[in-house]
Amino acid sequence: MSVDSVGFRGWSEQLASPWLASWSIARTGLLLVLRRKLFWILLGLALLNFLFMFALIYLKAQLSAQNPAIERFVDRILTSVTGTGDSYLNFMFLQGTVTMLMLAFAGEVLVGSDFQQGGLTFYLSRRISRRHYALGKLLGIGMLVSITTTIPAVILFIEYGAMTDSLTYLRENWRILLGILGYGTVMATVLSLVLFALAAWLQKTVPLVMAWAALFVLLPVLGRILSRVQDEESWLLIMLWRNLRLLGSWCFGSVDAGEETELIGWAASVVLIVCAASVAAIIPRLRAIRVVQ
Amino acid sequence: MSSLFQLEHLTHDYGQHRALDDVNLDIAPGTIGLVGQNGAGKSTLMQILLGLNRPTQGVARLFGQDVQQAGVELRGRVGFMPERSAIIPGLHGLEYVALAGELSGMPRREAMRRGHETLSYLGLEEARYRKLEQYSVGMQQRLKLAATLVHDPDLLLLDEPTAGLDPDGRNKMLSLIRGLASRPDKSLVLSSHLLGDIERVCETTIILDAGRVIGVGPMDDLRSSRPSCYTLRWKGEADGFLDGLREVGVQLEAVDKTSARVTLPDGKTTQLIFALAHRHSISLTALEPEEENLEAVYHRLIGRQDNLNEVRSDRATPVGQEAAS
Repeated sequence: MSVDSVGFRGWSEQLASPWLASWSIARTGLLLVLRRKLFWILLGLALLNFLFMFALIYLKAQLSAQNPAIERFVDRILTSVTGTGDSYLNFMFLQGTVTMLMLAFAGEVLVGSDFQQGGLTFYLSRRISRRHYALGKLLGIGMLVSITTTIPAVILFIEYGAMTDSLTYLRENWRILLGILGYGTVMATVLSLVLFALAAWLQKTVPLVMAWAALFVLLPVLGRILSRVQDEESWLLIMLWRNLRLLGSWCFGSVDAGEETELIGWAASVVLIVCAASVAAIIPRLRAIRVVQ
Repeated sequence: MSSLFQLEHLTHDYGQHRALDDVNLDIAPGTIGLVGQNGAGKSTLMQILLGLNRPTQGVARLFGQDVQQAGVELRGRVGFMPERSAIIPGLHGLEYVALAGELSGMPRREAMRRGHETLSYLGLEEARYRKLEQYSVGMQQRLKLAATLVHDPDLLLLDEPTAGLDPDGRNKMLSLIRGLASRPDKSLVLSSHLLGDIERVCETTIILDAGRVIGVGPMDDLRSSRPSCYTLRWKGEADGFLDGLREVGVQLEAVDKTSARVTLPDGKTTQLIFALAHRHSISLTALEPEEENLEAVYHRLIGRQDNLNEVRSDRATPVGQEAAS
C-alpha cells in the first residue's frame, strides 16, 4: 500500500479468522505472567519437584543397569518413581499444589486487570467476540497449569521409557500417557473456569488469594471436620481438589469397580456444577463492558 | 451517497433508565462530531455501533450492515479509541499495538511491522519498548490512537481523544486526527464534551440530550439555524427603550450599561429595534450580528427543547421523515 497525503501507509489484506486471536490473547496472558519475578520463583519451586523426580528416575535406571538384582529393592524405596499410573497421578497432584499458589497470584494479571484497567474494552472492541476473548483467557490459564503439571509429567513418562526398556515401556503403557493428558486437561479446564470467574468478579490479588484459599484450603478442612463429626463421607465432596484427583485416577484407569466408581460419579457431578457455576458467573461480567469511565 | 451508519427507531434502556430514545439518523461518511452531556447517550450509541450492546428496540446499520448480525466483521473495519485508559499493564508499547493488530485479524509478523510503523508515525518510536504504565497521559492517548490505527480502519471511532492533554498536546492530537480523517474513503466519529474539538475537526455534528437527537447536520447549517442574535450598543439612558423591546418579545441579556445581547422573536427583523429606538429617541451606536459557535448552538438547543421539532425537521435527516418526503 502506498503512503497517503498525511504520510500514513494504508493496509488492506486478507484478515485471519477471529479464532486465531484467541491464541494471541493466551500468549499475551502467559507473557504477562512470566514477566513477574514471583512467578519465576513459584515456577522454580514447581520445577524443583520435577527435577527431583527426573533425577530419581535417572538414578534408578543407573542402579538397575549396574545391578539388576537391586531393581526390586529400589522400587520399594523409591515408590514415587515406579513408572505406574499412580506415580504420575501423585506427581501431578503434588505439582498442583504449587500450581494453585501460582494461579492465586496470576488471577489479577491474567484476568482481573482487564476489568480494572479497561483491557476488556481494548479486546472486545476489536474483530473478536466475547467467545474468542473467553477462550483466549481460558487457554492462557490452561497453559500455565499445563506448564507445571501436564508437560513435566509427559517429560517424566518419556524419560522413564528412555531410561528403562525404551519403546517397550512406552508401547505397553500408552494408557498412562492418556491418563496424564486426561488429568491435565481436567485440571486445566476446571481451574481455568474457576479462576476466570473469581478474577472477573474480585479482580485484585488479595481478595482473589483469600477466595482461592477458602475454596482449596478452608473447604477441604471443613469437609473433613463435617465428614468426621457426622460420620458422612459425602461431605468430602466439597473438596474440589480431591474431586479432581478422583477424576484423575479415573483417567489413569486406577479405579476399582463398585463403590469407588459411584464416588467418581458424584465427584464428576460436583466438578460439573462448579464449572457451570463458573460459566454462569463469567457471562454477566463479559456483558458488562464499560466503554467510558 | 451511501450511508456510514443508519439508526432506525433506536431505543436502549438500562432497566428503568432510557439511554437512547427513538433515535433516527442517516449519516453520510465524513467527519462526524458527537456532542452531549454525561448521560446523553453518546457511549451507548458507540457501544451499539460497535455491536457490543444490543438495542432494546430498533436497528443500527454500519456500512449498510446490521451491527447485531455482523458485529465481529464490522469491528474489523472500525478502530475504536475508548475514553478509559484501556491499557494492559506489563506490555510494551509495541506489543500493545501489535496485539491490537492481531486482534483485528492481522498476521503476527505484519502486526509487528505495522506496530513499528504506526508508533513511528505518531512519534512514539523512542518509547516503543517502554512498559505502558510508564507512559504519560499524552503518550497513552497517542498509543491508544496507534492501536486504533494499526489495521487502517475505514471508520475511526474516537471517544474523548484529547482528554487529559495539555493545550499543545491537544492541538497536535486534533491536527493528527483531522489529517487522518481527511484521507479518501475514511470516516471519523469523534465524541467529545469539548465543543471546540468538534468544531475544529468535524463537518457534521450530532447533538444528543437525554437520549434524544436534538440537532444534527453540517456545522454551518446548525449555526445558521439560530434565531437572530445581535449585540446592541447605544448612548445614554435607555430604560424605556429596553422595556419596550421586552414588551415586543425581544430577549435581552445585559452586557453593560450601554450594550446588551438581543435575540429577536421569530418573524421579526431589526426594523423593530430601529423603530423603538426612534420612538424613545435613543441613538444606537452599533447593531452587530453575533457569530454563533457550536457552544452557543449546543446551549440554545439544550435550553430550548420546546423548539426541538423545528430544529429536527429543518436540519436533521431522520430516516422516517426522509422516506415520508
